[in-house]
Amino acid sequence: MANLNVDSAKERTYDAIVIGSGMSGGWAAKELTDKGLKVLMLERGRDVKHLKDYPTTNMYPWEFTHRGEMPMAVQEANPIVNRCYAFHEDAAHFFVKDAEHPYVQTKPFDWIRGYQVGGKSLLWARQTQRWSDFDFQGPARDGFAVDWPIRYKDIAPWYSHVEKFAGISGNRDGLAELPDGEFLPAFPLNAVETYFSKHVKTNYKNRHVISARCAHLSKPNQIHLDQGRAQCQERTLCQRGCPFGGYFSANASTIPWALKSGKLTLRPFSVVESVIYDDNEGKATGVRIIDTNTKQTEEYYARIIFVNAAAINTNLILLNSKSKRFPNGLGNDSGVLGKYVAFHNYSAHIGAEVEGFEEWATDGRNPAGGGYIPRFRNVYKQETNFLRGYAAGLSAYRGYKHSRDGAGEEFKAGLSKKEYGPWRVGSHLMGETIPKETNFVKLDPNLKDPWGIPQLQISVDYDDNDEKMKKDYIEQLTEMFTSAGFKNIKAESNHQAPGLDIHEMGGARMGLDPKTSVLNKWNQVHSCPNVFVTDGASMTSTSCQNPSLTYMALTARAVDHAVSEMNKGNI
Amino acid sequence: MDRRTALKNLALVIGSAALLPRCTSTNPVAHFKNFDVTNDQQSLVLNMAETIIPKTTTPGATDLGLDKFVWLMLDDCTKKDDQKAFFKGMGEFGDLVKKTYNKDFADCTKEEKLSLLKTFESKNKPEQKNPNPPDDKYSKELHAFYRTVKGLTVFGYTESKYFMTKEIVYELVPGRYNAMYPVKNNSKV
Repeated sequence: MANLNVDSAKERTYDAIVIGSGMSGGWAAKELTDKGLKVLMLERGRDVKHLKDYPTTNMYPWEFTHRGEMPMAVQEANPIVNRCYAFHEDAAHFFVKDAEHPYVQTKPFDWIRGYQVGGKSLLWARQTQRWSDFDFQGPARDGFAVDWPIRYKDIAPWYSHVEKFAGISGNRDGLAELPDGEFLPAFPLNAVETYFSKHVKTNYKNRHVISARCAHLSKPNQIHLDQGRAQCQERTLCQRGCPFGGYFSANASTIPWALKSGKLTLRPFSVVESVIYDDNEGKATGVRIIDTNTKQTEEYYARIIFVNAAAINTNLILLNSKSKRFPNGLGNDSGVLGKYVAFHNYSAHIGAEVEGFEEWATDGRNPAGGGYIPRFRNVYKQETNFLRGYAAGLSAYRGYKHSRDGAGEEFKAGLSKKEYGPWRVGSHLMGETIPKETNFVKLDPNLKDPWGIPQLQISVDYDDNDEKMKKDYIEQLTEMFTSAGFKNIKAESNHQAPGLDIHEMGGARMGLDPKTSVLNKWNQVHSCPNVFVTDGASMTSTSCQNPSLTYMALTARAVDHAVSEMNKGNI
Repeated sequence: MDRRTALKNLALVIGSAALLPRCTSTNPVAHFKNFDVTNDQQSLVLNMAETIIPKTTTPGATDLGLDKFVWLMLDDCTKKDDQKAFFKGMGEFGDLVKKTYNKDFADCTKEEKLSLLKTFESKNKPEQKNPNPPDDKYSKELHAFYRTVKGLTVFGYTESKYFMTKEIVYELVPGRYNAMYPVKNNSKV
């Protein structure tokens, strides 16, 4: 019997375990297997195989029973996920329904989740910008959170590393606040976006409107073809899963790459209950999971563990990983685990009518979505009554003009007219929020989820800084639109709850001081160095750039360090 | 009993009497998940849809099954309260037709049907700031009923395979993004 147990434990032992198969987990698996490690990847949801498991990807609009709309019964049963812009008939199967994984909203928080292989990398909006030192130095300069333990120079080569593989389209705009990367050709701005870009450049110091940088293969290189991916076909049906692998997802890119090495074992249907910490050995030895099909608890072992369960669930796992050494959660000597959670403020947008430009329209679809306005507030120095700043989306569009008024033959014929209507232009707010101790997640003392794991209480809210920033965004964009000659400008504050931005970050932040942070500069748990956290949970501050590219770069960098430490025998 | 209710009841009585043979012998009920629909009600929606998107040299609402789409969407994608309002409005619409033309919508001439809808349409612009002005003689349920039939008929039409392959062609795989697409003679179709 003893031998059997030993054999069984051997079979369940790997060099590394990666918890989570999404944006950052996929990268961990890819980098670890590239370095020759035998890796187990745990995914709580089902498998989604590239090409095979995209059931709606080639469906025409009329092939959807309700032409894309979600049945009311589903909407009413799922008020949280139903608020997500992409929760429609073509992609609803990639979203977690509200009842599947309950949590306690101490304050309203729309927790949008994708529990399947690939996670939310199937569903993301694919916007990818580097951070700059204006971001990494932000907390230190402006006196909030704690100082980032890294600077741009530490991560820059890793941005390059992941950009080359993922495929990022963009222009080399030469902006200090938004460093250039390894770009494939950008998707160009249209007539009105170009006009606005020139207008802003001429009339505003340090404000720019550039082509949105996005993870699409505008012109694939050999490395992308080697992944089995092909050029983006401008379908903009990305949320269904792309049969071309035209945008970066773990499913199309990192996971098949890692599987091809023969060194990756992918185990879906595995909810991680905790990371196992051995008090005698003084290190983490493995992971305890619950198989969602059999409901059985199982253990897997490895020398190093990467926690990439997505920000909130990573916090949940660490908080629930209790041992004699860590009674309040793995690596939580400081007591900050679960705290300083932040997000992005997406709660305002603005729209206007545009006169002129009648000689231009667009043809096809733009996967990048249009333009991007990098942060221009408080970049070089503090200049407003709020901290930090915001980026803004910017897109102009023009469709056919159809009267929806009337009935009968003439009305019907009118619907088929290919006569262009006027241009419209729109923008949306993407604001940095300040991580605070009072924005936190913690384990509920009583409530359990369907797997017997404590439910999370989520207590995250906007603050006065967010309100001031939103007001400024509306004022500045209104002024910029007005000076550009746009008409009938309407700004709207949508009062959406935190979470719906799907950019929740923090809780296990990086920092220089173990007394005030959970992770060191290598994303390594200060007090348990064979555990790494490289997803959104590790973020010390949020910047206003979209975060995924930074998770990818941090992951690749952390793996490089982990393997080097393993080789030195340090972990 | 106010004048309006009295008129409505009278219309119901006259209507029922006139329709008695059809009602009793050929008015079975179609069962949906959330409601039942009589043949008369189906006929009304079908005739309204066909009036909005008529058969011309190209297929109309009946050919494209848009009435069925209206019922499907009402059943599956509409709130319970809005379904109730729809049926209340539908009853009032039937009354209005009888009051105006003394017959069922289905039995009206093409011109009568169109005239009725268009009269209604002009009071029912979605962009109108106040959809229920004080001098409006129609209830909000009646407006909602018309708006629902109209909206779903047009939605079903512009998202139909016919429309998306023959009228304004939908491309599943555009394979291009031309950000500067020249437009010539925009006013000419």
